[in-house]
Amino acid sequence: MTTIAAVDSLRTAALKAHYSRLQRWGFVWALWTAVLWGAWYVPGTALWYEKPYVDIPTDQMGLRLAATAVMTWVHAIMVFVFLLLWNGVLGKIADYGRTMVRFRRISKWYALASLCGGPLAIFGSYMAMGFVGPVFAAVTSLFYPVVGAVVARLWYKEKITGRAALGMAIIILGGMAIYGPGLFGELDISSNHAWLGYVGGIMSAVGWGLEGAVAARAIDVSDPDAGIQCRFSFEVLFWGLLILPFLAIFTEFPISSLIVDTVTHGRAMLWIILASACHAYCYTAFYKSFSLIGVARGEAIGNLYAIFALIFIAMFTLQLPQWYFIIGLILTVLGSFVMFSEPAESVAQLRDTDTGFKTP
Amino acid sequence: MKLHQKGFLLVELNSVAGLWDEDLIARTLREYGHSGEYWENSIRVALDELAAAGLIIRLQSKLKNIRDKPMLTFFYAVTDFGKARMMDTGLLTEGSVE
Repeated sequence: MTTIAAVDSLRTAALKAHYSRLQRWGFVWALWTAVLWGAWYVPGTALWYEKPYVDIPTDQMGLRLAATAVMTWVHAIMVFVFLLLWNGVLGKIADYGRTMVRFRRISKWYALASLCGGPLAIFGSYMAMGFVGPVFAAVTSLFYPVVGAVVARLWYKEKITGRAALGMAIIILGGMAIYGPGLFGELDISSNHAWLGYVGGIMSAVGWGLEGAVAARAIDVSDPDAGIQCRFSFEVLFWGLLILPFLAIFTEFPISSLIVDTVTHGRAMLWIILASACHAYCYTAFYKSFSLIGVARGEAIGNLYAIFALIFIAMFTLQLPQWYFIIGLILTVLGSFVMFSEPAESVAQLRDTDTGFKTP
Repeated sequence: MKLHQKGFLLVELNSVAGLWDEDLIARTLREYGHSGEYWENSIRVALDELAAAGLIIRLQSKLKNIRDKPMLTFFYAVTDFGKARMMDTGLLTEGSVE
């Protein structure tokens, strides 16, 4: 009897360690998302200071949006190349092909996720930046985990405990403390086009929030590394075969010369390559975290990008962030700890599926 | 064309009442012509992901010595939610497997 009891206690300890390890990996992946997302802002911003983008006046909104479409397409192609490298090293390229071809039932969800994350969220974010301002755009994007959590809950019963919800709320408050004070000088409802900025802000929060929930439909039954490559395959196709040809044919914007100028300017391409490397692996980590800790937690921890973006920008510009950065830092770190303090066993089974069995 | 790996794991598990992960790993390695610790661990991670998503459930666990290290092994079965997701994604069609 003693031996059986001893074996059982060893097994119980091993189970606890197993679930803790899964939870830790999920949070580590989500944290990598935040770090790389934050790092992406440096090359992403620097690109606008290089030819051909530096020559586009800030008041020419239409041309700036067209240039953004070109930039995003070239960027998506480079992300695809980096993901090919990643899956090549992991030996998952064949699995990518096998997932991609099952379009009607599986990879269509990745196609929809790329529409939510690309043309809806990124385009919306640029509208918010252009018609209201960058601080407003940053604040509205911070709400995307709320959209993700609500959709994940309603659509496929993802369990969101009180503690996870509290942690998410604290992280969002932390983000608002970082960007919020800058918002007061930025909001100007007297502008005729401000409403376009507000619509853009809503598009970015809804788009990124939906992306996680939509992609999770496919990640359920397919590999996240292969899945993210499917998602970017569709993004390359959407911009390259639909949006850019549409803009080139039906508008006056110089799409072809913007493409040629982008790929022939070494400095612009260097920033795009750096931004793509950050983005490729940030998104990979994002999708991997969803499969271990769920969309709601993955997106909330991903929101820590607000902290890392400011840290990286401060490192490169040698300008210290404002005092309210410290308040935001404390709140976001506190929110992360609140989320991480959930019992690992509750994170090991993410859905309220009522299987009638108890996790051993 | 072969099924993608997670799809294969679900279909194999659904064809029986349940399986120990070691049997499932052996079947998967054979199907894809892989071998070695990296692929074994990769399949274990996929099983952990499927269990976290609620598509499969761990019904039993055992502590065994694998490569001279104590390691947990699990007995998995597909849940009703997993079957519904397999139907949604074309892995299971009215009693037959695609």
